[in-house]
Amino acid sequence: MKKKKYGRNLSPPLFLLLLLLGLALPASSIGADIGNCLLCHKYPGLSRIDAEGKMRLMYVNEEIFRTSVHAKVKCEGCHTDIKRIPHDPAKPVDCLVQCHIVEPSSEQKFSHKDVGDFLARSVHAKTDKDGNLKKYSEDLPDCKNCHDNPLYRPLAFYKTVRSGISEESLGRCRVCHKKDDFIFQFYNHITTRLHKSRSPLNIAQMCARCHDDKELVSRHGLKTRAFYSYGETFHGKAASFQDERIPDCLDCHVSKGKSVHEMLSHEDPKSAVNPANKAKICATDDCHPNASPRLATYETHPEFNLDKDPAQYYFTTFFIFLTGGTLLPLMLIMFLDMVRRLFPHAMLGRRK
Amino acid sequence: MEDYPIIKEKNGKKHFFRFTMEERIQHIILALSVIILVLTGMPLKFHDLGWASFIYDLFGGIKGAPIVHKIAGTALLLVFFYHVVSLVRNIGRHYVAPMRREGRLGFVSFLKMLANLPLVPNLKDLRDIIDLMKYLFFITNKRPDGARFTWKEKFDYWAPFWGVFVIGITGLIMWHKEFASTFISGFIINFCLIAHSDEALLAALFLFIWHWYNVHFSLSVFPMGTVFLTGYLSEEMMVEEHYEQYVELMKQAGRESEILPPHGGDAHEEREGGLPS
Repeated sequence: MKKKKYGRNLSPPLFLLLLLLGLALPASSIGADIGNCLLCHKYPGLSRIDAEGKMRLMYVNEEIFRTSVHAKVKCEGCHTDIKRIPHDPAKPVDCLVQCHIVEPSSEQKFSHKDVGDFLARSVHAKTDKDGNLKKYSEDLPDCKNCHDNPLYRPLAFYKTVRSGISEESLGRCRVCHKKDDFIFQFYNHITTRLHKSRSPLNIAQMCARCHDDKELVSRHGLKTRAFYSYGETFHGKAASFQDERIPDCLDCHVSKGKSVHEMLSHEDPKSAVNPANKAKICATDDCHPNASPRLATYETHPEFNLDKDPAQYYFTTFFIFLTGGTLLPLMLIMFLDMVRRLFPHAMLGRRK
Repeated sequence: MEDYPIIKEKNGKKHFFRFTMEERIQHIILALSVIILVLTGMPLKFHDLGWASFIYDLFGGIKGAPIVHKIAGTALLLVFFYHVVSLVRNIGRHYVAPMRREGRLGFVSFLKMLANLPLVPNLKDLRDIIDLMKYLFFITNKRPDGARFTWKEKFDYWAPFWGVFVIGITGLIMWHKEFASTFISGFIINFCLIAHSDEALLAALFLFIWHWYNVHFSLSVFPMGTVFLTGYLSEEMMVEEHYEQYVELMKQAGRESEILPPHGGDAHEEREGGLPS
């Protein structure tokens, strides 16, 4: 634990006031916040206008933070440039730094550095094979473009009664583990890692931030707006109704057993959605186990687009004309009929 | 049929027999299953609109609605299958068998017989459409003399007939895509989805706008036509929609003297300029 030089730039009365406020905090909140950052950051109004003129909110909602995946990491674990309080404007967090927690199986200090290596090998890498910066590399994602410190989402869909933490399971933990804090944390951690921490819709929406951006999609020569076209098949439609069992982007685009950070272009022969491998990913046990390899020619990202798929375009156009061609004349007759019935004897011209 | 007199009098009003119990039951199953199919299908087609999840949730959301959709689809296909089988059987029994008995059955006479079936569109329908235009554009006050089945009813029959066929086949393929993939390529299923959902939208709009207007919401039947429940159509509606058949049936029953003038015909001339009767 580094020593902090508290109060150096604070006037004595203000320091005293903050100290009193600090003492007034409930014990639990002080325990989690070793660096005492919440002394200031617990105030909802804590904000300022940055150099770009954007409003930056520095408020940390402790309740939310304590149920987030990083609850056990001290503030300084990620904000490594902050050595004293009060501090200068903090640098953006680099997720690949060595954290201050110890990984229990290896007793090494924990880091997300490996994820960086995965990412560097993926289609999302900012540099190409020769190490040169790719065109529009600023569009390519950093950690925080996809990860927003999600809240724990305990195993809810294994239970029929309600979502949230299962008291029965916690009871089992308590047989051996004495500290409830520990139990709560690890139960959450393990159940979160064992299933997806986001719903299929949530994943797809996250990818859509870039992959449905028309300009970005065309800038990078991609063929389709991924989220939009995902929603054109049952996969995406079911996802939009919160189906947990439906495949999202990652289920198809990542080879089984690989890290999602190692996302590959469909042109890469190692990619799960490369035409040569696609049949295998469609026919996995969880999806279409009895399907023939021909099922893989199903277009999972169809779009009403003449350039992309003229056959589907003209087929859809046929139905548009069939619908219009059938309904418009009939609706015209309906309308005329309504008018005509209001004036049943209003024949024009000479009568017999 | 003894149970169903052609002309039934109730409270001094004549009612004309149109649909057997069997036909009405088929229609009710068809109507209910189509309504359920539309309610559990359209939210998927328009999944990104606000009302979609509201309606979907009424049927159990993504866990329940697809099952409801498949049950309703199965019911519709079964009634369609039953209908086609009984249609073929009835044509065989009432048309082909007598022709064979009389030795008139040949390829040409068979086709002629088919073309003359009451529900098959014919030149009379074209004339009726032209006459309807004359009426709608105020050229005449007289509505076309409808036969037993008017062109509207033929449309209402053949459009769903085609629709159930297309939507049913494509629905079955998408339901059993794994099995289907053993004999068709996956991209065909993309076309099945387009055909299924676009044809369904056409069918839904057709039924809920056009069909319901004609049988329920039109000024002469509003608020609800009952022939689909009772099997009998009132005399006024017979005069308005099926005048040709009306006259025929009245003559058959030997009640020529009671025949009413055609809708909008000469009898109303003295009311000229008055309010609609």
